[in-house]
Amino acid sequence: MSGDANAEGRAVYKVLIDAPIETVWNTLVKTDEALPFFFGAVCDTADGLKPGAKMRMVTPNRKFASVVGEVLEFSPPHRYVHTLKFTQWDDAPCTVTYELNETPDGVAFLLITENVPAGTKTEKSMASGGDFITSNLKRLVETGGPAFSGRMVMALGPLMALFTPKACRIENWPL
Amino acid sequence: MTNDDMDAVFHALAHATRRRILDLVNAKPGQGVGELASAFDVSRIAVMNHLAVLEQAGLIHSEKDGRTRRLYFNAAPIQMIQDRWMSAYSARWAGRATALKYAAEAAAKRQEDEE
Repeated sequence: MSGDANAEGRAVYKVLIDAPIETVWNTLVKTDEALPFFFGAVCDTADGLKPGAKMRMVTPNRKFASVVGEVLEFSPPHRYVHTLKFTQWDDAPCTVTYELNETPDGVAFLLITENVPAGTKTEKSMASGGDFITSNLKRLVETGGPAFSGRMVMALGPLMALFTPKACRIENWPL
Repeated sequence: MTNDDMDAVFHALAHATRRRILDLVNAKPGQGVGELASAFDVSRIAVMNHLAVLEQAGLIHSEKDGRTRRLYFNAAPIQMIQDRWMSAYSARWAGRATALKYAAEAAAKRQEDEE
């Protein structure tokens, strides 16, 4: 069957979120503020999120970038697509899509990862990261506070910097 | 996650065939219903009924692609069950305990096989 190869490098994470779609969107695309649902990282851009813009996820002290990417699509409040590459590994970038749709039961939030290089550390990270992001974003938007796992990474953030490889230093990853 | 949502997840998981469906879809994301059904002796209709229960619980996400309905495993409901009872701290130590269990049991099995 055609398209099978594409479908295989693809994973989907879905939650229903009990909040207005604008709230979910604004929480998702917040820049310059630590995001508990994204491992306590800050989304950093030169001039906001828009197609073609480079983005990077940086530690709140702006010493390290964990993830770099490029915005492919930015359609508030429904769809945001960007490439994603972990700075600490040499794997090719994959694609992350966030889709928000209003339903009678709440906002259906879909996180789709594609072209994740098979058998790599990126693949392993994306698998645990997808669950973490969907469940913590839901909790954050609905209750105003992250889930325990989100609070834990926020608290451990400064400590983790000690173990961060040099390859992740922010000066290696300009916008 | 409401109690009703959680009931749906546990109900969906409380059946060996449905757990096997999740294994197969997780191992090959994006497979069609026909391919999935071919792995079972039961009828395609029976598999589709199980899929409906899994989809209702949010454990399966499906997307239409031409004439194929592509299936994906959605781990988020299970993550929310974990969020309810486990902290990042207890998950780490429980993970150590289960990792030891798997390693020791695999070693015991290898010994058995050799004997």
